[in-house]
Amino acid sequence: MTPLQLLFLGVFGLAAVWFGWRVFRTKSMVRSALSLLAAMVALGGMFLALDAEFLGVLQIMMMAGEMSIMAFFMMMYMMDPGGMSSMNMTHQQRPAAAVGIGAGVLVLALALLTPWPPAQALAPSATQQNHDLGIELMTRSMMIFETAGTSILVAMIAAVATALAYPQQPD
Amino acid sequence: MENPLTLLVVLLLFGGGVYALAVLEYWSVAGQLAWGRPARLVLHLLLQEEIRPRQSDTVLYETAPVLFLAAAALAAAVLPWSADAPLLGLATGALFVNAAFAYVMVAMLMGGWAVNGVYAMLGGWRFLGQLIAYSMPLVMALTATVMRAESMLPARIVTSQLALWNIVYQPIGFGLFYLAALALAFLPPFDFPVAAGELAGGVWAEFTGTRLLLFRLGRLLLIMTLALAVTVFFLGGWQGPWLPGFAWTFLKTLLVAASFFGVGRYLPRLRYDQLLEWSWKYATPAALVNILWVGILLLL
Amino acid sequence: MALTICLSIAAVLFGIGLYGVISQTNLVMIMMGVELMLAAAMLNLVAFWRLLHPHTYALQLFVLVVMTVMALEAAVGFALATQRFRSRGSVEVEEAADLKENA
Repeated sequence: MTPLQLLFLGVFGLAAVWFGWRVFRTKSMVRSALSLLAAMVALGGMFLALDAEFLGVLQIMMMAGEMSIMAFFMMMYMMDPGGMSSMNMTHQQRPAAAVGIGAGVLVLALALLTPWPPAQALAPSATQQNHDLGIELMTRSMMIFETAGTSILVAMIAAVATALAYPQQPD
Repeated sequence: MENPLTLLVVLLLFGGGVYALAVLEYWSVAGQLAWGRPARLVLHLLLQEEIRPRQSDTVLYETAPVLFLAAAALAAAVLPWSADAPLLGLATGALFVNAAFAYVMVAMLMGGWAVNGVYAMLGGWRFLGQLIAYSMPLVMALTATVMRAESMLPARIVTSQLALWNIVYQPIGFGLFYLAALALAFLPPFDFPVAAGELAGGVWAEFTGTRLLLFRLGRLLLIMTLALAVTVFFLGGWQGPWLPGFAWTFLKTLLVAASFFGVGRYLPRLRYDQLLEWSWKYATPAALVNILWVGILLLL
Repeated sequence: MALTICLSIAAVLFGIGLYGVISQTNLVMIMMGVELMLAAAMLNLVAFWRLLHPHTYALQLFVLVVMTVMALEAAVGFALATQRFRSRGSVEVEEAADLKENA
């Protein structure tokens, strides 16, 4: 990993953490969803800095659509999408903070105290990665991907069926 | 990085193309070629008084035009102009183009929400509905071209069309990509987000001055980028007999862009739910059939 | 060094996501917290792929599956929110005590 890559990793990482924190601290709902989008884009940037070009670009592309739809649903279902009044939309803040900090510290301790093997310096080039990922998908992991495809289809049908408005049955 | 002279030529051609598109847009509306009009409009918008809506969302208000322009420019940066000007040859170029186009939608959403106006907000959310409609055919048509080239590198996709251009090899894919490109650039008949008659100007209604200039310039850049994408992915890019590569790219791009402006004027404006019905009932199965078609052709 | 940076950023993001899930009352905000947690997991996976096993593409496939799961749970979650909003008029989990026993 070159020093430039490390620098990008650090900068994008701090940006992801800051935007992720702003998600739950800002009052405006649409700003909250777009802040999550910024956090995801920073994460995609980290993927790009880690030489995973396909995954980085895929993350950036998918999250644009997903977070926009989340912003849309927030505007539809929440009471104060513009954040103009000062409602408190949280509950059990102390236990939540305790659990969040506890889990974060636990994972951090695990990450820092485990003796990891030495880091590999070189990664395959992007074209090689695309080719090999495709081969892996089509040969060894074909079953996994087909299952993922079927589950996407099932989820789509389930979501549409759940959200349908049935006419009121006469009781 | 290639020769800086080719880079300069590419930038000049791109700028000239965007100016020509501005003239073409007015020609498709008024029927006359006014060559000086875009320059006058730029000056007018730069000198216009900046009217800020009350209680607008400041961060999103400032970010939206810049993001719009940046997304269109980023998408243009990965498309090659000739064999020795591949610009930013990313190994996942075809996917990157899609990603950049998705942020055009995010910028319009931001712009619609930030100005604290009902019609602007409706225009922004309706553009999201349009994205759900055009996104699938766009990506699947591109996937079929990537299948033929066996690589996502845009230069490789162009060289794979040496024997036969993709417009002949996969005509369904070309048709779907063309229509999806029209919907992406919210050109008529898909111009719901900025509908002049229906939504009182839609998303752009509350922007004035430099920001509106960035939006309009960004949209022309987007149309140029989309025409360039159609050229690179379906019309064989820089391939052609006598002229140098980038001249052929330029000519094909201008032709496609002129057709973008001319085609839609004959249809009434399509609502986003009609567009959604078209997309999910007819266009996505057609895109799947296209992928099957390309697969069969490749295996034969 | 890179592994430390990536794993600690992922740990912090996971903590923030968990805080969001437990402290927010609105279903959509809870889903945003879950998305953050899944994103932290993806970051871990990509860091492990790049720095420990750059030639094992099964890890990249894992990331793709996690991305799929993110999209799926968002879709089904929004469908549930839609139906809940239609029948009760709000998606607050504080008011979703219909099945709760009294005392």
